[in-house]
Amino acid sequence: MDTSTASPHRTLVAIPAYNEAATIRNVVERVRLNLPDCDLVVVNDGSTDATDAVLAGSGATVVAHLCNLGYGRAIQTAVLYAERADYDRLVTLDADGQHDPAQVRPLLAEFDGGQWDLLIGSRYVVSRSYGGVPFGRRLGMQLFSSLVGLMTGRRVYDTTSGLKIIGRQTFKALRNWQFIDFHAEALVYLMRLGFRIGEAPITVEERHHGTTMYSALSHIKYPLKTTLMVVLGLIEASLTRRRMS
Amino acid sequence: MTTLGIAVGTAIGIALLLWVVVLIRQDRLYAGYGVIFIVGTIAAIAVLIVPSWLRAATAASVALMPEPSLSLVAIVLLTFLVVYVFIQISVLANRVMRLTQELAIRTAQREQPSGRPSEERR
Repeated sequence: MDTSTASPHRTLVAIPAYNEAATIRNVVERVRLNLPDCDLVVVNDGSTDATDAVLAGSGATVVAHLCNLGYGRAIQTAVLYAERADYDRLVTLDADGQHDPAQVRPLLAEFDGGQWDLLIGSRYVVSRSYGGVPFGRRLGMQLFSSLVGLMTGRRVYDTTSGLKIIGRQTFKALRNWQFIDFHAEALVYLMRLGFRIGEAPITVEERHHGTTMYSALSHIKYPLKTTLMVVLGLIEASLTRRRMS
Repeated sequence: MTTLGIAVGTAIGIALLLWVVVLIRQDRLYAGYGVIFIVGTIAAIAVLIVPSWLRAATAASVALMPEPSLSLVAIVLLTFLVVYVFIQISVLANRVMRLTQELAIRTAQREQPSGRPSEERR
């Protein structure tokens, strides 16, 4: 399959960034190089380091939150921006350089097949195991993957991947659903609304700069919160479907 | 504690649980706060309905406070008050969040006059 041909669809690449001054410029340049036909927006989520200064003159449109709202809200801002500017699809990438923008092109080609409303760049869809992942994270990934399978009848192996292709048909749902965090709960919500979510294999590089967004406390709080949100997502999707029918 | 006391306590707990879930659904209570109340309330209900846990909790509370039943009423009232305070914080936080998102998008669109960065390539 020729994946180098430019798509007729308008595509926005969005990179949520929080204190990623060390890597963001390089990520922006790699996106520009590999995806020249896509527009690029960086959601600067209230960074307190030099992220803003590094981005100046990079050619990327910067949507700057005045304060830190968190990853889910940064993605939601990107969704709002994409919807208002009438994009057909939104590609999200992590700002720490873990994702190779060159891997987006085959994903876009797969997405253009029309089989999916949201396509996740998945680290585990081929191996279907979490080998090499630290025990705590592995447990969480297994839990949420199983939970998504239980709630929707279809397992998603990489619920926390930052590389996603989001079709415009899902924008309204993502904009309206107030408690988005954009992990398992959002996937369950979308799947229960009838949107088709798929996974395509990618590889990721190890993070070389910065720190993970998960603190020690969040290792306890995050699974509880996400499980609650998954259940609420299920209820919300059922109520939305009932209202629509 | 009497059977009626356990029933009333459980009913209050379930009411609190349902209230918290509805508040989160309506985006009036941040899920991170909600989880704390849900886990706390489930734990409290579990203590009420498991006799051995209730005996241990009663013994502990008698050792700590001279009037455990009155303290229980105060704790219930305080819990509802804390939920109310968290609602106000969540509502305010949501307004700040929406303002921040709106401001960020509008500023970016102003810097891209058409609001559609790829238009120039068309």
